[in-house]
Parts: sequence; C-alpha cells; structure tokens
Amino acid sequence: MALRERVLGLREGSIIVVTIVTAIYFSVETSSFFTSANFKTLLPYFAPYAIIAAGEVFVMILGEIDLSIGAMYLFTPFLFYKLSASWGIPLVPSVVIAMLVCTAVGLANGVAVAVIGINSFVATLGMLFTFEGLALIISHGETKSIPGAEVTHSEVSVSHIVNGHHIVLKETVNHIGTFAKIFGAGTYSELIWAVVIVIVLQVALTFTRWGLYTVAIGSNKLGAAEAGVKVKSVMIRNFVLCSLTAGLVGILEAVRAGSIQPDPAGSNEILFFAIAAGVIGGTLLTGGSGTVVGALIGALFLGILRDGLVLKGVNANYLLFYTGLAVLIAMTVNIYVQRARRGHSGGG
Amino acid sequence: MADPVIEHDVVGPSSAPDDVLRVEHIAKRFGPVTALRDVNLHLKKGEVLGLLGDNGAGKSTLIKIISGFQKQDSGQMWLHGEPYQPKSVGDARAKGIDTVYQDLALIDELSVYHNLFLRRERLLKLLPLLDNRRMKREARTALDEIGIHIPRIDVSVARLSGGQRQAIAVARTVNSNADIILLDEPLAAMGAKEGAQILDLVARLKDEGRVSIIMILHNYVHVLQACDRVSMIQDGAIALDKPTAETSVEELTDIVVNEYRRAREATRAEAAATNAMPANGKTNI
Repeated sequence: MALRERVLGLREGSIIVVTIVTAIYFSVETSSFFTSANFKTLLPYFAPYAIIAAGEVFVMILGEIDLSIGAMYLFTPFLFYKLSASWGIPLVPSVVIAMLVCTAVGLANGVAVAVIGINSFVATLGMLFTFEGLALIISHGETKSIPGAEVTHSEVSVSHIVNGHHIVLKETVNHIGTFAKIFGAGTYSELIWAVVIVIVLQVALTFTRWGLYTVAIGSNKLGAAEAGVKVKSVMIRNFVLCSLTAGLVGILEAVRAGSIQPDPAGSNEILFFAIAAGVIGGTLLTGGSGTVVGALIGALFLGILRDGLVLKGVNANYLLFYTGLAVLIAMTVNIYVQRARRGHSGGG
Repeated sequence: MADPVIEHDVVGPSSAPDDVLRVEHIAKRFGPVTALRDVNLHLKKGEVLGLLGDNGAGKSTLIKIISGFQKQDSGQMWLHGEPYQPKSVGDARAKGIDTVYQDLALIDELSVYHNLFLRRERLLKLLPLLDNRRMKREARTALDEIGIHIPRIDVSVARLSGGQRQAIAVARTVNSNADIILLDEPLAAMGAKEGAQILDLVARLKDEGRVSIIMILHNYVHVLQACDRVSMIQDGAIALDKPTAETSVEELTDIVVNEYRRAREATRAEAAATNAMPANGKTNI
C-alpha cells in the first residue's frame, strides 16, 4: 500500500510501471530482448528522443509547443557540414558555431511567441518549414558524409594457437576519431549525453528559480507576471534550450550514422516522437506541470516498444499502428493517475 | 449635447506631514474608456486606508498603477516625499510597495511555501539552487506569526479553499517586508470566519505600526471596522476622503445612491436632448 502510494505519488509513476511491464513482456516473449547486444541496439531508439524531449518539456510546461525542433534536428548537421567540410573550420568550433545558430533560432521563436504574441504552434510551424527548406537548399538535396566521422582501418597481427601451433593472422580493426566517439559515434556516447542532459535539466526544473518560474508561467502566466516573474525572458530562454537540444541531437545522430540525408519526413518523425515521449512521461500540453525524467522514461518506453516489436517479428507495417495505440493507452492511464494524485494521495 | 461627464465634488490633492505615499491628479485611459480621471490620494505612516467604489469605478486600475503593473497617462506620485514612478512590479516591490491582487497571483501548481516565496526564493549558500528546507521552515514560522492555519505547506495551493488561498496571498505580501501593502478585495471568496481572521491580521499589522495599508473593500461595515480613513472613488475620481470616525454606513450609502440618481438623471437628460433633435437627421448643424 505504501509503495503503491509512493509510486503513484510520483508524476512519472504510471509510465514507470507501464515501461517495466512492457520490458517484462518482451523479455518473456522473446529470448533476445534481455541481452546486452539488444541493449546496445536499443540505445539509438531512445537516447536521441530523450535529449530532444528534455528541451521540449521546458517549452511544454510553459503551455507552449516547439515544432521547429524537427527542422533544427535536420538543419544543424547540414550547417555543421557546411562549416566544417566546405569552409574548412575545425570540427569543435564548427559545432560551437552551429549551436550559436540554434540559439539564434530559439531566440527568434521565443521573441515571436513571448514578445510579438504569435501562437507557438503557428510560429514554430513556420520555423519548421523554413529551416527544413534551408536544409534542402544548402544540401542541394544530396546526402553528405559527416566530417570527423570517417572510419579508418588498420591491420593488426593477432596470434592464435591452433592445434598447439602459433599462427599469426592479420585482422582489420576499425577506428573512429575522438571527436566522433564523443559526438555520437561511441557506443554509449548518446546515452551519456542523454543521462547528463536529463539530470542537469531535471535539477534545473526542480531546484532552480528558472524551473520554478517555468512552472509558474505555465500554471498562471498573469499571476507570475504580477508576482514580478520576468515572463518573456523565461519563455525565450526555454525556446533557446529547446532549439539547442534538437540541434545537438541532429549532430550526434549525423556523426553516429556518418552521413546525413536531407529528409524532412524522417526529422518530422523525430519531432513527433520527442513530443510523444514528453507527453507519455507525464508532461501536459496544457502547461504547468511536467518532468524531464518522465520524458526520458517516455522515450525509453517508445524505444522498448519499437525494439520489442521488431524482435517479436511484428510486420513492419504494424509498427506505427501499435505505437499509436500504446501512446493512447499510456495517456489514458496517465490522466487517471493524475486524478488519483489530486484526489487523495499526498505527492507533490 | 449634454456634457457626458457627471458633475460632482472631487477631492483635490491633500497631504499630511507623515505621508508615506501621495498620489496627485492621476489619469488613465484604455482606448475610449476613461478608467481614472483625476485621482488624489494620500496615505499616512501606519494608516489603514479603505478604498471604496462601485465596480468599474477605477479602484483596481489605481492599485495597478501604484504597484507598477500599469503606467498612468498623467499625474504624479510621491513615496516618502520623493517622486515615485515604478518601472515594474519588481521596481515597486524593491521600493517597499507590494500588492495582493484581486485575481490572486497564486500559482496553482506550486506548493504553499513556493508561492509564499515567489520572487524572493531562498537559495543555498554554495550553489544557485533552491533552499526548500529553509523556505518550508520560514513559511511555517511566517504563517504561524500572523495566525494563519494551513495543515500542510508542501501541497500545491490548487488543493486549498478560496479563503486559505487568500490568506496565503496576504501572508506573502506581509512576509515580503514591504512597508506599503495594497490589498485588492482581501475578503473576496472568504467565509465569515476566514474574513474575520484577515481583518484581525490587518488590525495586528496596524498595531505594529510598521506597515501602511490601502485596502479595497465592498462591505462598508468592514471599512468602518478595520480602516482609519476611507476614500471613495466615483467615476474615476475621489468623491470622498474622511476619517472613518467622522463617517457612517449611512453617509457612505447616501453618496453611492446619490451618485446613482445623478447618473440616471444625466442619462435621461442626454436621452431627452437626443430625442429633441429632428428625427430624420437632415438638419445641418
């Protein structure tokens, strides 16, 4: 009873339960789900979404939405390519400049919504089209290889003992550079980025003025303003954060894959999965409440679902269908848990 | 055409040597609507001033101007004898003027103690993180001091009753170390018992003599009971300014009723003047 109360008391409580149940189901149903090899396959299914959702949660708690994350995800690696491969700027400064451009886009989003007063759905939809278009323009619609992510090969001699004889065989080993290892291509690189970003942002949300004001604005914008909260500045800051996380994931994913396709359909899917991760994790689109850790678990849930369905050999055509149903069910459960919390249990 | 402005007595600027706040000739329009025409007001140290007036008379607009949420079109204010023009709510607060608004600037999703400390959060010494433990402790002390009983201060204020919410809003202002407190209908949404608690709280603050209070009220009995002086706004100007000892519920009621009659007659006169004009409207004037 006490445990049940405690888990339900957590905003993320319901999705934690749903995720664990889903993982157990796939562990029982397939022999290959609960293996370290599959854990590695699972990582890219959720880490990128967790990072983008972490930024998006800050905008969603305001009661706003940022659709332009799809465009920043697509555009930023092309900008990075342009800076690094076309103009010869070193790798790390190229990343820094690309992040500055993301900041500028987030700033523009924030000003459009908080200062000019354009509805965030409309403003960021405009930005989504604009920057996905720009990605197509600067890529000339062509796939590009990402600088710094090249795989080099070297031959090493490995000695084997076969039937008591020493045999030396040459084997090829693949190497990736330090830059690539850090920015997405290392096996656990994206996971580490995700965990660090989620922890930092969750602490910011729960234990700093910035987080408190974000919740305050989403809950009662006029009241927050009357209390002296600088509403515009907080809103702009959150849109900047959202652009930055999306741009960073764009670069991480591009480096991981080694190449980038100018494919707005793919980036739009990322956009919707990131928002879904946030919503499943307990962040309301109406604003005023949400958690970054919840979004991470939401992303994990979506990742487990897709990975598990693939392992179970579900027809690829059914993947999206099942994902959709799962989102609807998870949201229904969330709302009932939310009501239970408001009604009697004592979380906060 | 009859002059649409209703003629009645308007209280001019006045002052006392121990004024903490003076407001002179304040006017404010919202597009075609004149909210304040010519408002003159003063507040002495340690005084509780009751502000009366019908809905739409301009009470809330005046409060918002004094507290820095809106800017007047014309007129001047003085705080402790110095010219006073707040740039923002934060600026007004920094100068010691704090407000409890009618629409309750409480944040439903935040806990009682986070609401109490909104914009004055306590931080840890080493890191820029919220010191929740200290805020909880200080919130408990502050609420106890002013006699407000809230069973749990770590629940969101959405779960509290209207009266408890108002009490917390008042407590937040009192707790802010302001020396001028503006209360916009502090007794709205309150039961009799909770209302009495707030009036007791105001009386206690008056006895301390540290803060001066302007309080918007609707109930004349409350005004006479809790305030030292009463100012009545009518039609965007102050129509009466008297110590409560020198007035009565009857006098206050008479002013409002007379105002209503005058306004009705003015409307009739205007209608008559309009009707007297040629109905076909072809006459050139």
